[in-house]
Amino acid sequence: MADWDLSVTVEELGSEAPALSISVTSDLHIGGVILKLVEKTQIKRDWSDHALWWEQKQQWLLRTSWTLEKCEIHADASLVFMPQHKPLRLGLPNGATVRLQACFSGPVFRTLLGICRILNIRHPEELSLLRPLEEKKKKKERDALDEVYDLTEVPLASVSQACLYNGMPAHFADSPQTEAVYRMLSVPQPAPAPELISKQYRAASVVDKAHINSRWLDSSRSLLQQGVQENGRLWLRFKYSTFYNLEPLYDAVRLAQLYEQARWAVLLEDVDCTEEEMMLFGALQYHISKRSLSEPQTVTSNAAMDDLETALLSLEVKLDGDSSRKPKRLTLKGYKQYWFKFQDTGISYFKSKEESVGEPIQQIHLKGCEVAPDVNVAGQKFLIRLLIPAPEGMTEVYLRCENEEQYAHWMAACRLASTGRSLADSSFQSEIQSIRSFLAMQKTHGNSSVPAADDAINPHSLVSPRYQKKYKAKQLTQRILEAYQNVAQLSWNDALLRFLQIWQALPDFGLSYVVVRFKGSRKDEVLGIAPNRLIRIDLGVGDVVRTWRYNNMRQWNVNWDIRQVAIEFDGNVNIAFSCVTADCKIVHEFIGGYIFMSTRTKEQGDALNQELFHKLTGGHEAL
Amino acid sequence: MDDIDAMFSDLLGEMDLLTQSLGVENEPPNAITSPPEEVNLSPGFTDLNESLYELEDNDLDVLMADLMADLNATELKLAVDIENLKVPPSSSASQPPPATLPPAPQGLSSYDASILPSPVSLQGDVGTPSPSHQSPLPPPQHAKPSMEEIEAQIKADKIKMALEKLKEAKVKKLVVKVLIKDGSSKTLMVDERQNVRDVLDNLFEKTHCDCNVDWSLYETNPDLNLERGFEDHENLVEPLSGWTRDSENKLHFDEREDKYEVFKNPQNYYLWKKDKQTLKDMRDKDKELLIEENFCGTSIKVPDLEGALYLREDGKKSWKQKLFLLRASGIYYAPKGKSKTSRDLVCFVQFDNVNVYYAKDLKSKYKAPTDYCFVLKHPQIQKDSQYIKYLCCDDPWTLNLWVTGIRIAKYGAAFYNNYKTAVKKTSSGSAWANRITSSTGSSPSPAPSPSLSAKHASQANGHATKPQPGPVSQVRTDRANNYSLPPPPPLTHSSLPPPPPMQTSSLPPRLPPQARLPPKPACRGKQPPGPLPSPLPPPPPMDSLPPPPPPPPFPDDATEAPPDFLPPPPPMTSGPASPPVRPPVVAPPPRASFRGGSRNQSLPPPPPDPEFLPPPPPPISISSGGGGGAPPPPPPPPPSPPSGSSGRKTAPPPPRRTTPVLAGRGGGGGGGGDGEEGNFMSELMKAMNKKRGED
Repeated sequence: MADWDLSVTVEELGSEAPALSISVTSDLHIGGVILKLVEKTQIKRDWSDHALWWEQKQQWLLRTSWTLEKCEIHADASLVFMPQHKPLRLGLPNGATVRLQACFSGPVFRTLLGICRILNIRHPEELSLLRPLEEKKKKKERDALDEVYDLTEVPLASVSQACLYNGMPAHFADSPQTEAVYRMLSVPQPAPAPELISKQYRAASVVDKAHINSRWLDSSRSLLQQGVQENGRLWLRFKYSTFYNLEPLYDAVRLAQLYEQARWAVLLEDVDCTEEEMMLFGALQYHISKRSLSEPQTVTSNAAMDDLETALLSLEVKLDGDSSRKPKRLTLKGYKQYWFKFQDTGISYFKSKEESVGEPIQQIHLKGCEVAPDVNVAGQKFLIRLLIPAPEGMTEVYLRCENEEQYAHWMAACRLASTGRSLADSSFQSEIQSIRSFLAMQKTHGNSSVPAADDAINPHSLVSPRYQKKYKAKQLTQRILEAYQNVAQLSWNDALLRFLQIWQALPDFGLSYVVVRFKGSRKDEVLGIAPNRLIRIDLGVGDVVRTWRYNNMRQWNVNWDIRQVAIEFDGNVNIAFSCVTADCKIVHEFIGGYIFMSTRTKEQGDALNQELFHKLTGGHEAL
Repeated sequence: MDDIDAMFSDLLGEMDLLTQSLGVENEPPNAITSPPEEVNLSPGFTDLNESLYELEDNDLDVLMADLMADLNATELKLAVDIENLKVPPSSSASQPPPATLPPAPQGLSSYDASILPSPVSLQGDVGTPSPSHQSPLPPPQHAKPSMEEIEAQIKADKIKMALEKLKEAKVKKLVVKVLIKDGSSKTLMVDERQNVRDVLDNLFEKTHCDCNVDWSLYETNPDLNLERGFEDHENLVEPLSGWTRDSENKLHFDEREDKYEVFKNPQNYYLWKKDKQTLKDMRDKDKELLIEENFCGTSIKVPDLEGALYLREDGKKSWKQKLFLLRASGIYYAPKGKSKTSRDLVCFVQFDNVNVYYAKDLKSKYKAPTDYCFVLKHPQIQKDSQYIKYLCCDDPWTLNLWVTGIRIAKYGAAFYNNYKTAVKKTSSGSAWANRITSSTGSSPSPAPSPSLSAKHASQANGHATKPQPGPVSQVRTDRANNYSLPPPPPLTHSSLPPPPPMQTSSLPPRLPPQARLPPKPACRGKQPPGPLPSPLPPPPPMDSLPPPPPPPPFPDDATEAPPDFLPPPPPMTSGPASPPVRPPVVAPPPRASFRGGSRNQSLPPPPPDPEFLPPPPPPISISSGGGGGAPPPPPPPPPSPPSGSSGRKTAPPPPRRTTPVLAGRGGGGGGGGDGEEGNFMSELMKAMNKKRGED
């Protein structure tokens, strides 16, 4: 067989170096080509990660046993010899950027599995990669701003096991730098500055939201095939809104990142919610950031220990409670001063301290009552508003405290009592602490331009721009504090899970939109893809016109030539549409992906059926 | 030292008196003649259900019989306690109290077998093995500990005992009369640690009814024309305590279809907009899928309800129509002229502090547009008030939708867990199981019709509609096992929770027979599910995509997990082997987990650590042979040794506020305990003084 020259660029030789020319025959297999090439470079190194990339055809030559002839490679081909793993800059849901080694040659789905293994995120099938939004800022400026967490040094071989060392996977425990990266990954970020929220791109309409979905990468093709370059920027996001088997014990990173994605979805109004829900989200964010500061590693406490401590604590606190007093001010209209005693879950009051040994004027049982603050730090107004249920209805009582400290103690006691807990409860101190910091929040942002203290949180950091505009910081603090009543007792993990639950319970949660044109229709409409159904939305009215559930689906097909998706449902219902804002492969992947998600079972545990995923989402690539 | 000893002797004496008096007062005849406070000596508790006074003689007889058994047991126990206390502490030959209390019976061996109490003793109550475990222990070792140690131990144990008695004294109890459909009634005593499920179980025993899931306890309030079914996880004493002294409220035991209808026919709630026929023809598998989607994920989904309801205007006698929407966070309405997008909605009520009630006959009472009304109010409100929100629906079905929707929003996972527990009860307890299981869609029959296919995957360019063979060769296994409702756990696994139905519903969209999709491991029947797949497995091998592993051959034994990866960090209870069966997110109610198949007793959560005692028994314990269903079953000892460790694998029990653990403070707690006693004591003294004054 005749020899001919094949020209191959070797990346290791630098971009200036000319392509190497090697003499080959058509029956030489790819492995043989690589061997010849390596000899010719005369470089001694580990070439095992290298592979040949065929530039004109934009494809990898990964089957080393195939001959050049079988690959249809002739003398005019220009090949590049390069590593399959290269650094990639990955924007995380929490806004941070990590730089890590990613596979540029395998299907993106497999690349994703590798990335999630490095980051220690379980159930990688729920995530995917997408192209970042066009940056308005200049690239250099942007690069300078970003702190990049580097994980490129993590040897890929070492991440095969998810064993924990010091509470983190072993490959993070290598150095202080990687430990810091793990903290960044597994602990939610502090509340963002309000300006950061308002400056971010917000999808204003369903159509805007639909455009976001055009940026998902094709999970069946490789990064390089999709034009992603070494050191390129991509985002890692949760794509499928079915979060399987969330387990705080193993899912530190997954939970933290999911929380971040949810938080930003709320802050940027990606998902609609009511004002009450926004305030609750705000309260939970507040709670979570506070707890993140105070208990970075949450220790699951022994229930029995808790109770024991509680029992020990009760005495001290009770004495404390007995000696506390709460004079209502005489000077203020409508307020009269009494001597107050807090006992168990109730308040008793007396005419004076001297009479406090006898029968109280009245006893108020606080269990089940509503406790609301009415505070103005600047005006030194510290009111506790109690709405106490009684057979005849609710009784409203205002208690006025003299100062912040007294307020914090009594407010904490009232809150605990309203949920049936006494002062002996172990959360009493933390409750006091959180009330203090709420007061601090009002102080720093309410009525002065004094820069925020380190641990103070600006309430405007906790809500979307709509509410930043609607409420002044002081009012907002009040609203968030009200919502806070019901979550103040949650542990860090529980607060995080609660946030996710409320997010997932929103009516619009989990809908991914694509603008489509239904067959036979003359106007664009929106297809909403949810974990369990497809919905058709009229763009003009914004109403849901139809709902089709996957469990009634008989089959779906994609005509890749005319790029049309056709779906058949039970009862001879057929729909077909072409996609306007996203490639039909993306829609196909969404549907197939959700069906894949629904096939996961407890029995299979964390084992992932990659082939099935590929078959359900691959389209003609899957052939 | 002497002072403290003296103090404790006094203290214990006082408390014995108190406990005894409590025991006597628990007797119905006394209850009838004495003010309610005395029945419940718990400080701070004032209201007792007036219906206690209305007990008829026959009620009393039954109750009496129940309680006598308890009382005998209590007296026996007390006798033993007192006996033990009388023994001079310095005599090393007899230090019974120390030995009776610590959970580890082997702890002190100086126990004098001759005064071992009957099975109904403190020992049994605190969860130690039966006395027979102790008797073989050789007594001779008693001389070893030094006097100081012994004294310290005695003191510590006295503290424990004191605390325990105090706690028992504080348990709130009510005698309630439950009306039954046939016009009869049952009278029982409930204590505040019992939830509605426990009381239902108790009533099942007493009434020999069919135990189906529809049996409910519900309250009626004739002043307000309201009624509300208690949820199974609720504590019964609490809402009853809110009744006023002169309340006409009644407690009923009856079947109510609406109690768990949403789990039998979820489509009627979650797809209510669809036409009636579609809903009626809904396949069982689709019902299961709905349950899974809405109740088995990380978040409970609330039916998407919206519609025009009439709202009773505050103070006025008029009703105004508004567009109301139900969300997980509350009920909202769309203000006039505004859209119904989320941000424009006005919050009408959130559910944290209110319950939902059916309201009857408001048409005549308040001129409501229809008689299909519901009410949201704080449970303690018993009279008409501006704080009660009245809403009126067009028809009974809408009413049912809203009330059920609100219950889902308010109770979330607990609601579904209650149902699962109720089903378990049914299937273990009666022949009616079939009816229930079929109605929950547990039909094992595979769906006959071809369905969603994976055919698309093999569609080549342009040949859109030509069906092709399914891509996956894996045969889906018959899921009959998965579907069947959890059977009563086999005895050997009695401490493992049966597979919650949750798993049954994780079915994928149905696929045509030739294109069966996901590999479904078939070994469910052999192996208790849960622990096996949960350990964090090594991530799938990354470097080779094909060939995919065949469906994992599931080892029959959980211990056969691949040896080359580290087990996940142990669950918080540090059980020896496996992580919790379920993530806590959707943990089934702990009680459910511990229910043995055979008895309806409620077990306490197993002690998380051997050093801690389980919650103390109620002051009245039933004799073990007690038939006829005595009121609060004492917590039996923790699961028997073989299953003991696996018992710990189950989801860790949440702390129960009603039974703060006091044991285990033991030796170390001397100093702190003193003061604390004093403080508790002051409350107790008050209570006792009050009582004496009234005598």
